[in-house]
Amino acid sequence: MDIAAQVFAHLEMAVIKVIEPSAFELAGPSFWWLERFFFQTSPSNATLTPLETSPFFDDFLEQSQSVWRSPEQHSLTSGPWIEVDDAGREWPFDAQAIHDHGQRLLLITHLGASYAERVEILQSSRERLLDNERLEAEVSRRTQQLKEREEEVANRLLAAGGYRDQETGAHVKRIGLYSAAMAKALGWPPLRIDDLRVAAPMHDLGKIGIPDRVLLKPGRLDEDEFEIMKTHAELGARILSDTGIPMIEMARHIAWSHHEKWNGMGYPRQLQQDEIPIEARIVSVVDVYDAMIHKRVYKQPIAESETLHFIRTSANTHFDPRIVEAFLDIYDTIKAIKDRVQEHENDQPSPF
Amino acid sequence: MIQKKICMLGSFAVGKTSLVQRYVTSQFSEKYLTTVGVKVDKKVVQIEDQEVKLMLWDLAGNDVFSPLNMSYLRGMAGYILVIDGTRIKSFESALTIYHTCQQKYRQAAVQVAVNKVDIQEQWEVTDAHLAQLHDLGIEINLTSAKTAQAVEDIFIKLARA
Ligand SMILES: Nc1nc2c(ncn2[C@@H]2O[C@H](COP(=O)(O)OP(=O)(O)O)[C@@H](O)[C@H]2O)c(=O)[nH]1
Ligand SMILES: [Mg+2]
Repeated sequence: MDIAAQVFAHLEMAVIKVIEPSAFELAGPSFWWLERFFFQTSPSNATLTPLETSPFFDDFLEQSQSVWRSPEQHSLTSGPWIEVDDAGREWPFDAQAIHDHGQRLLLITHLGASYAERVEILQSSRERLLDNERLEAEVSRRTQQLKEREEEVANRLLAAGGYRDQETGAHVKRIGLYSAAMAKALGWPPLRIDDLRVAAPMHDLGKIGIPDRVLLKPGRLDEDEFEIMKTHAELGARILSDTGIPMIEMARHIAWSHHEKWNGMGYPRQLQQDEIPIEARIVSVVDVYDAMIHKRVYKQPIAESETLHFIRTSANTHFDPRIVEAFLDIYDTIKAIKDRVQEHENDQPSPF
Repeated sequence: MIQKKICMLGSFAVGKTSLVQRYVTSQFSEKYLTTVGVKVDKKVVQIEDQEVKLMLWDLAGNDVFSPLNMSYLRGMAGYILVIDGTRIKSFESALTIYHTCQQKYRQAAVQVAVNKVDIQEQWEVTDAHLAQLHDLGIEINLTSAKTAQAVEDIFIKLARA
């Protein structure tokens, strides 16, 4: 056997000359698997006749005609394909049609050990990829569940507090939605936006501990009464403390600091500027907005234009100027929430 | 006899091989054996008074390890875009494949098989996702290679197309 033949034998590559578009002649060593594709009258006769039993190979032969007929030099590779024998075993092959310097060739290679190796590597990589995908899906499913449970807890807390004053279900729902819209405008990540939507409605949770004579008093509060009223901020913070749940932590900051003012003149701790948690700065703007434009037992609603004027002119004194700016930027969204979420369709004590 | 080349396309492990196996041999295996390269199966179906020979090309799932070899698609009459309902990623790759095919094989008929409907309670693919496909004008079939649900349908629809 010459060197070329040895190489072909080693590679398990059948080298076939193309005499006519459908007349083939074996040029190198023969292999038992050639009988899958060709009929050979005897081992000594090099003439091969296609059997037309392998759809993939037949298709490849058909495509190859253009390579062999082409006046130019040309080649076409089949890519790996698999033949299945009667026992269900799989045999991988690869084929090439070549037209080079007037020589027309068909090469068929039985892909051996290296192919098996490649399959094995692919198999394990894909299994790992599947595991990762499953894990990812599981994590996002669990996060979702957790968020739902947290929201449920928040709803129960709100329901337990009841709505004894103007803080109706629709109002707290709107505060959540306005705040989320603001957080979105400020570029917060989605999970935190959602936390804020659920946390913001709990800003007045501490009113649970304020006696009716103060909370429900129709007229103005006197100084002592106002002092009592002010305790709702700290009370709310205490109710919401020590949970270790980020959303509730957020709610705690909001309850504690939503009456603070940018200039340090708020309550209960006289925090100023960046000392006031951002979530509380957001809620303070939207809470004032919603309270002003709605009717209360002790007041008529204030016009939108007047309310906006008040908010604009309270930047730097009452409110964080950047939050006011964001509020005015998304005012259309805010207004849409206000119009959509109204008491009459939502006078049940459940806020969500 | 009319002959039609039908390609099975979709992410890996969505059930392409299983759907062909269910259709051709009426069998199903839980075991996942990755396909590398192409395997072609044949099935002759009777459409009215015509016999149609379907050549079912089961292609290796495309993923980061082995991108879809477009040359395998030459001359296809139609394709089945398979999605694993339990894996949102397979929905995303189906969309990518669809858009790729639309560029070169716009005339090819397409049926979407959202597979593994036997475990629909574990699905991540939602009605909203399916609506997206619907909006592209693609016919959606909920299939199971395991229970055989709608398997024959998708092949027959392509044989008729
Ligand atoms: N439950 C269920 N499993 C399926 C279904 N179809 C395929 N599988 C499983 O999904 C895995 C991948 O299937 P396979 O056909 O190899 O996917 P391919 O990579 O797209 O060819 C295998 O473990 C199959 O047993 C189905 O309809 N239902
Ligand atoms: Mg497969």
